[in-house]
Amino acid sequence: MEKVLLVRYTEIHLKGLNRPYFERALISNMKRALHGLDPKIEREQGRIYVRGISEERFDEALDRLTRVFGIHSISPAEAVDKDWETVVQAALKLMEKRLSSPDAGTSFKVFARRSDKRYFMNSDTINKELGGRVLERFPELHVDVHKPEIKLSVEIREKAYIYCEEIPGAKGMPTGTAGAASLLISGGIDSPVAGYMMAKRGLTLSAVHFYSYPYTSERARDKVVELTKLVSRYAGEIKLFLVPFTDIQMTIYEKCPEKETTVLMRRLMMKIAERIARGEGAMALITGESLGQVASQTLEALCVTNDAVSMPVFRPLIGFDKDEIMDIARRIGTYETSILPYEDCCTVFVPKHPVTKPKLDELRASEARVDFSEMIEKAIADTEIMLIK
Amino acid sequence: MIYFDNSATTVCLDKAAAAAKEYMLEKPFNPAAAYSAAVKTERDLNAARANIASKIGADPGELIFTSCGTESNNTAIFGSLKAMRGKTRVIISPVEHPSVYEPAMELKEQGYDVVFAPVDMTGRVKLDGLAALMTPSTGLISIMHVNNETGAINDIDGIYAMMKRLAPECLLHSDGVQAFMKEAPVSCDMYSASGHKLHAPKGVGALYVRRGVRVKPYLMGGGQESGMRSGTSNMPGIMAFNAAVEDYALNRAAYRERILAVKERLYGNLKRIKDVTLNSPPMGEGAAHILNVSFLGVRGEVLLNALSEKGLCVSTGSACAAHKRGRNRVLNAMGILGERQDGAIRFSFSHFNTVDEADTAAQMIEEQVSLLRRFRRR
Repeated sequence: MEKVLLVRYTEIHLKGLNRPYFERALISNMKRALHGLDPKIEREQGRIYVRGISEERFDEALDRLTRVFGIHSISPAEAVDKDWETVVQAALKLMEKRLSSPDAGTSFKVFARRSDKRYFMNSDTINKELGGRVLERFPELHVDVHKPEIKLSVEIREKAYIYCEEIPGAKGMPTGTAGAASLLISGGIDSPVAGYMMAKRGLTLSAVHFYSYPYTSERARDKVVELTKLVSRYAGEIKLFLVPFTDIQMTIYEKCPEKETTVLMRRLMMKIAERIARGEGAMALITGESLGQVASQTLEALCVTNDAVSMPVFRPLIGFDKDEIMDIARRIGTYETSILPYEDCCTVFVPKHPVTKPKLDELRASEARVDFSEMIEKAIADTEIMLIK
Repeated sequence: MIYFDNSATTVCLDKAAAAAKEYMLEKPFNPAAAYSAAVKTERDLNAARANIASKIGADPGELIFTSCGTESNNTAIFGSLKAMRGKTRVIISPVEHPSVYEPAMELKEQGYDVVFAPVDMTGRVKLDGLAALMTPSTGLISIMHVNNETGAINDIDGIYAMMKRLAPECLLHSDGVQAFMKEAPVSCDMYSASGHKLHAPKGVGALYVRRGVRVKPYLMGGGQESGMRSGTSNMPGIMAFNAAVEDYALNRAAYRERILAVKERLYGNLKRIKDVTLNSPPMGEGAAHILNVSFLGVRGEVLLNALSEKGLCVSTGSACAAHKRGRNRVLNAMGILGERQDGAIRFSFSHFNTVDEADTAAQMIEEQVSLLRRFRRR
């Protein structure tokens, strides 16, 4: 008997002739996620099988795969020879294990699938025969074909695969199949969630963070590195760019109207991020903005920041409430890190009454008062790059 | 680097480190073992106990070694109430260290009537307000000796005398972590101390329990510390603690003078900066080693980061961030709010500091404050 992870994938099957490309990307992402566990990964008839994982690291492998985009669900299965009595014994053993948990339930159904059409029983017969054997062994159970609490699945292929669990995967598209984009990451709750959501649609991420050394602390920086690491558990390797922003910020505060400082700051962040993105071959920016959440996220303010760049800006959270964003942050494990209370570059110098309805021509005029080009060059030149994986 | 954060922790004294090393390398014996080398170690342990106890006028049998101030506070609070019957009220001050405040919150969960003694703007407990809370059902009062944020000194002797009159069955615990060796010993039923605030290494503390006071142990096991605190005796830590205490005892007057000079010099310099307010008691009234001031119009954490880059280590009175503004429990209770809370910085000194450092630090602070004020919220 061998333990195998049986992986089903999501929308990939819709992609027609591109299908092999998506499948290859998914398998390569799975291999990376399972790095160090010596997996043997095989693709076969719309399924992916992961073999060769040692018993003690099986759960870890399963956990890691639940964060790989493109996977619909995963079943830990027993692979045995197709000899009928062997199949029955393995199935009974699996049922016994399942029933040892207190909330296992009392109803079941057998789901047989016979890909090996030469097998001596057809699916229907397998259902009946195996159902009978299960009832014989566990008389306290009953069959419920409509809403079974336990789904005992048997697939007859080159071997027989038996399982009764189907663990949901991360869904989405394999990372890397949709191109690359750069995420503006702050250290708050929203931006890591935005990055996660776009990686889920198949984007490879790089991340750009602005900090105000020495006015923001080393811990604020560690926090961003940690958040990027948490996102990379889903999104794979992320190149993180740490951009020193103090000079630009101070110049804005000295030379430009105070209530416009936040929006101007964001325009310059977008410009720098776009430059970095282009250098990385990224074709879009990602932000965690949500309409109306704060003064700089009103429609007017978004128009003004959008105007600073020519790349598309993806804002996957634009229609989400804060509560909804927090729910996702908790689910993907970034929330606890996001709420650590450090000043970040956006809170160090903040106007008391930021403009909520900035006018584009006024803001362009304010920005034109200062020649930022040299400062932008210097910020990019002094940017520190970290590879997060 | 200028280190003005000695209330967080202190550098270990050479003598203390040497003592620790001796008991790690040359005398690594478990004092509870039976052979003669171990018996000698046990004698050293008891001599250290007697020496440290004598500094607060206690008998050796009244002093328990622990792992830290937090353990001492937890043991005193939970252990004494566990050994008591029929008492429902616990009084603490609202400005206690978390290692007293959090246990009190846990007691509240368990159904105790936990009440807070009123404090003034420096964090000093008001005696009449405290007296009004003392009822026959009061089992425990825990009031810190020296406030770790402002250096305000509580009149523990006065509180003890008052308690004996108004609630004679009640026990008084005092968290002396910031006061031990630095202030004159006080009368109370239980008193906590910590080694690393006094140039001993981290990981060793002590709890005084007056003879006759019943305290249930927190850790049970081999019965060390007369059954009050099981666990193999931390000989390196305890002997280093003893060396640090001995050094302080010998030099107390000189150390105090030096520390006070640094504090007064720094405050003298800082008060020349515009819009600086003193959160500590007036010069000459509080503990010599703590100075808390607010720089109005500046965010404490931002100033701290800027000073850190210049090589000056201080601490914020308020761990404030944009979304946690105004949530500093201690400063709130003192009525230090708004800009004053946001801009609060604590400086804490040791005898290793110099007045020159106070001058250099003041200059750095002045520069950073005026720079940051240019960008203040207008």
